[in-house]
Amino acid sequence: MPDQRAIVIDDLKAFLRTVQKPNRPIDSIAETDGLVASGLIDSLAIVQIVAHLEGKYGIDFAAGGVDPERFASMGSIADLVMEKRA
Amino acid sequence: MPRAMSLSQFHENPDVIAAWLRLFGPAIRWSTPRRRRTLLAAGAVILLVLKPMALMGDIRGEAAPTALACSLVILGLLAFSYVSYLAAVNFARLPEAVRKRPQIALHAVYWAVLAAIWLVAPPHTLLRSILVGLAFTMPFLVWRCGYLLLSGQRGRAKDTTFADQLMVLFPVWGGSNTPYGKGLDYLARFEAKSDEELARSHLAALKLFVLAGLWYLGVEIMNGVVYGDPQHKLTLALGGLGLGIPRLAMLTKGGSAPLAMAWASLYAELVNQVLRHAAEGHVIIGILRLFGFNVFRNTYKPLLSESVVQFWNRYYFYFKELMSELFFLPTFARRFKTWNRLRLFAAVFAAAFVGNVYYHLLLREDLLVAGDAAGLWTAFGARTFYCFLLALGIFVSMVREQRRAAAAVEVGLARRWLRIAGVWTFFALICIWNVRGGGDFSSRTQFFASLIGLG
Repeated sequence: MPDQRAIVIDDLKAFLRTVQKPNRPIDSIAETDGLVASGLIDSLAIVQIVAHLEGKYGIDFAAGGVDPERFASMGSIADLVMEKRA
Repeated sequence: MPRAMSLSQFHENPDVIAAWLRLFGPAIRWSTPRRRRTLLAAGAVILLVLKPMALMGDIRGEAAPTALACSLVILGLLAFSYVSYLAAVNFARLPEAVRKRPQIALHAVYWAVLAAIWLVAPPHTLLRSILVGLAFTMPFLVWRCGYLLLSGQRGRAKDTTFADQLMVLFPVWGGSNTPYGKGLDYLARFEAKSDEELARSHLAALKLFVLAGLWYLGVEIMNGVVYGDPQHKLTLALGGLGLGIPRLAMLTKGGSAPLAMAWASLYAELVNQVLRHAAEGHVIIGILRLFGFNVFRNTYKPLLSESVVQFWNRYYFYFKELMSELFFLPTFARRFKTWNRLRLFAAVFAAAFVGNVYYHLLLREDLLVAGDAAGLWTAFGARTFYCFLLALGIFVSMVREQRRAAAAVEVGLARRWLRIAGVWTFFALICIWNVRGGGDFSSRTQFFASLIGLG
């Protein structure tokens, strides 16, 4: 059975390709690299990731709110997804 | 890490870091994270007294507070800080209504103070003096306590001490009502843990101080050469040969100038504001970095922004973050979840319009204490319109950015410069309704009309 976390990371990469800045390819970003700090996305692009996670994984952010730190890297987003789905 | 780096990246150069460590080794080794935090906490205790005294010096239209009233206000602020800390640490045990809306609960305390002034505090009494003192001083604290509660909400305040939180609530590094460096949990993420990290943070501070000096110099050159202020040393040295561009505030108040000069004034004001704001922010963040908190700078090349939203992100980072965390993200998470465009619109307007207007409303304690609704409208008419235009511009810009990202097309240099010019023009124009001392809404709007040939 494939590693669920790895699947989430692959999905995130595929999604981030649609929102990344043209001169910052997603493939050059490591799992733990800061997405905003690496220049891949703008800090306000978090909302696009939020919308994606809601649609794809049915995560509801209304109760717990959106914590930008959980969106800092692909790894931390994957952890968030795994946590919410557990 | 490559050894060869540009001069501007000197703070990341291993050779420079090693040299800094050799030069300041003993001082760096002495200043452990614990000692640095202790110094900042000690400074915060001093500031707990000095800051409210300075803020209460602005009280107008009310009797000046006595020494007793001042002391009680300071005790009140300390109590407010400590209760906020306890609420953050024990967040899970708070009543459900507070847990659901902690920020509203926090601001309700401030509005309760104002309501008490309006309704129950007789003039010339100690009670009124204390309440007025609190009304003038709490806005500085309330946003910082907001971050503290947010930290509690996210479960990150439990293991913190009040002394550590106090250093953030009364920051030695300065700042406005906007918390530069956000809250303690954000600062902790950027805190230097080793000698090398501290040396890097020091060098990053040094870079900001150099930049701040350059930008202050730029402001002075603008005052002398661009504006030709009559008493300015540079104007006198040039024998009055400056460009003589009028100040924007003078034009928006009803002054006149040829059309080209009026447009030049608009762009000059934008550049001037950015330089001043960047210089002030660099000093504040520079001090934070000296203490080992190597956080993002407050202003990062906003004049090179290629979109309105990018400019907003880069011009006043910590204000944008405040609006984003307390207004934008909560609205986005809760409202209009099935209507994508409306959802984004609501979130942007919650931050850039509602939050922005509200933040600036709390800066006019004098009018709030007086309950002067007409005065507030006079003071805020133009500002409200500015915030509306800003929010609209950010929303449109975000939608366009999303489209651009989806298209993933690289653009040429000419196109990029065109975008930058567009961003300059947008912010220069909306500045008409924001420039300080620039008259009322009507005179500002008349100036705008004259710019486009309608006046």
